Amino acid sequence: MALTQGDALAITRRAALGALGAGVVGATVASWPRLTGTDIPGRGDNSLSIVIQGTKADASARQKLVADFNKVHPDIRIKVQAIQSVDWKDFFVKLLTMVAAGQSPDLVYVATEGTQLFAERLAEPLDSYVQRDAAELKEYFEDVHPSLVEAMMYKGSLYQLPMDWNAANMYFNTSALAKAGLQMPADDWTHLDFRTMLSSLKQANGSDFTPYYWTNRLFGGVVPWLYINDTSVLKETKAPGGRWLWDSFYQNDPSSKMRTGGALWEAPNALDPRVEESFDFLRGLVKDGLGVRPEEGGGNTLVGLFASGRIGTTPAGGYWVEGLHEAGMTQDQYDVAFFPKWRTQRHQFGTAGYAIMKTAKDKDAAWEFVKWAASKPAMETQFALPTTTPTRRSMVNEALYAGKGPKHWKVFYDTLDKFPSTGPIPAPPQQAAVETALIKNVSLAVSGDQAQLKSALQSLQRDLEQALGGK
Amino acid sequence: MKHQRWLPWVFLAPTALGMGLFTLIPIVASIVLAFFQWDIITPPKFVGFANFATVATDSTVQVSFLNTIVFVIVAVALQLGISLGLAVLLTEKLPNWLRSFFRSAFFFPLVLSAASVSVFMKYLFNEKFGVVNWLLSLINVPAVPWLTSPAGSAVVIILVYVWQNFGFSFLLFLGGLASIPTETYEAASLDGATGWRKLVQITLPLLSPTTLVASVMAIISALQVFDQPYVLTGGGPGDSTRSAVMVIFETAFQRLEFGQGAALGVILTIIIMLITALQFRLSKRFVFYQ
Repeated sequence: MALTQGDALAITRRAALGALGAGVVGATVASWPRLTGTDIPGRGDNSLSIVIQGTKADASARQKLVADFNKVHPDIRIKVQAIQSVDWKDFFVKLLTMVAAGQSPDLVYVATEGTQLFAERLAEPLDSYVQRDAAELKEYFEDVHPSLVEAMMYKGSLYQLPMDWNAANMYFNTSALAKAGLQMPADDWTHLDFRTMLSSLKQANGSDFTPYYWTNRLFGGVVPWLYINDTSVLKETKAPGGRWLWDSFYQNDPSSKMRTGGALWEAPNALDPRVEESFDFLRGLVKDGLGVRPEEGGGNTLVGLFASGRIGTTPAGGYWVEGLHEAGMTQDQYDVAFFPKWRTQRHQFGTAGYAIMKTAKDKDAAWEFVKWAASKPAMETQFALPTTTPTRRSMVNEALYAGKGPKHWKVFYDTLDKFPSTGPIPAPPQQAAVETALIKNVSLAVSGDQAQLKSALQSLQRDLEQALGGK
Repeated sequence: MKHQRWLPWVFLAPTALGMGLFTLIPIVASIVLAFFQWDIITPPKFVGFANFATVATDSTVQVSFLNTIVFVIVAVALQLGISLGLAVLLTEKLPNWLRSFFRSAFFFPLVLSAASVSVFMKYLFNEKFGVVNWLLSLINVPAVPWLTSPAGSAVVIILVYVWQNFGFSFLLFLGGLASIPTETYEAASLDGATGWRKLVQITLPLLSPTTLVASVMAIISALQVFDQPYVLTGGGPGDSTRSAVMVIFETAFQRLEFGQGAALGVILTIIIMLITALQFRLSKRFVFYQ
């Protein structure tokens, strides 16, 4: 019997409930891997899961590294997961949320900003592995500056092998310099020379031009100006220990005796007169129109503004070279110099490397990856372009900067060699709270009068006390 | 019929399950968490009311809650004023296509991501390189430090927030205006009432139920402002644009004081509930139903 249209549309309640039930069952089956978390990299099998900061494309870019590793260690499976974030602070928030949800990875690529947070709570010390495989690692340590290694030490233990790093050097737009009749500064130039240069740049390049652009963040913001004035917003002390490493791998290094168990930042120092002096110097630049009032972040706009010739000078590291090249800058249109000298010429740097999580399923396998990733062939794969500075001295060479510049690319590694006291970003385990405290007070400190500066520094001191009070 | 008794429960189950899992349980968990010290990594420790005592005496918390109250007063007043004004203008004689165009245009910002809009606005309001200051320079207005001065930052955050959110109230008012009988206006016209008088004595009173709903929703939303200050200014300069929800986020996810963050969440929820209750209480005097 032929069905009428009305019959065909008449769905019984029983049929509707059946369809609904089937739909629920189907949806549950289809999303079972998500519901049970087995689709999370490294779960459900014995793969090592590695988390990096970046995009899915960054994770894919590491597949070559993983493939090369598997040629040597076919028994260790690796999965790379990228976490997209605005900055390291944001990355740590997301990672800690993963840890709280029971999705802790085995390895995390962590920068200086998080080294002590991981060392204090999440990461496994590498001391026993490094001592065990000392012979294999001898060549690595010979190629890597001890300041970078020391930055990865916390209370005498090593937590990461540094893989890439960047110091806050000073980039110049050479066209703007030429217009003002200026040359690149000498290695031992001072902060006063810097100010004089800015005045000349301003006069020669018109009102639409910004002589000095800087950002409000922990790297490259106010901190390099504090370091060259032999101070910081946090009191820096050195942890004892670490001789096991220095005496094994750096006994011939002239700075070996000054090496320690790593930096400690346990007390605020915002009321130090030198801190006020550095802030006042920057306040003067803002007041006289030589530098901008720093916005929070701001790094994203910087490459474009610098490449378009609207900025005279700004602090940045070797990571900028590829970006400027892609933005169309030729190698003779910009150059790099050391940060100017004040009481010292101590620079600020940040470095990064893989940390093994305490909760890692197979720490020995994780160490094999860390050790392999620090080998020269692996690092050459990972750092083929000047998007950062490799920690191996032998890789910071003419070939890396060929056709991209800058002319004085040697400044990048010389920063460590010429100024051995050059130190890491002040990043205690409470880095996120410390950075928030700094960012929130810098803009006020440099954009008002002397009284506002003092008030902002008092506020910074209070905020840092609070930040350091709760770990 | 027998099976009809459980049938409503079957249909309610998906919503109830979702509400339970994603609303009710997190609310209860947050309240419980407010009485613990917890940093995600180590086990929680019961601390009684200590978290509430700590956050109550924290100057950053006090400033951020005060900022939020000031923000709510200004932003909600602007949002309701602009949306009501535009809704009234749009009910005037306009071609249908133009009315449709404006209706879509005003609602459009609401469907955009607040974070994306804020990133975009950050470029526009950059002191040195932004389009806004460039336009002002054409009429010889000196560069305004929009995002690096306390006053400028507050103005930008309010403007961006209101621009993005007035579309919702606007639609509510448009619906409310459509429900007012035209005969009432015709009768008023016969009695010699002018446009302004009609607005004050007919439109606003008859629109008061809509105004109540719009203001309740606008206040609840404004009390939870986060994206705009977080992206545009990071709460600065100083604490000048730090909002209550920002301080909750920073306390929990940056300082890893999840208990204190939860306590702040409980306090904010209580404030929202009190203000909403007050609005409904006042509505008995100021809201007129036809």
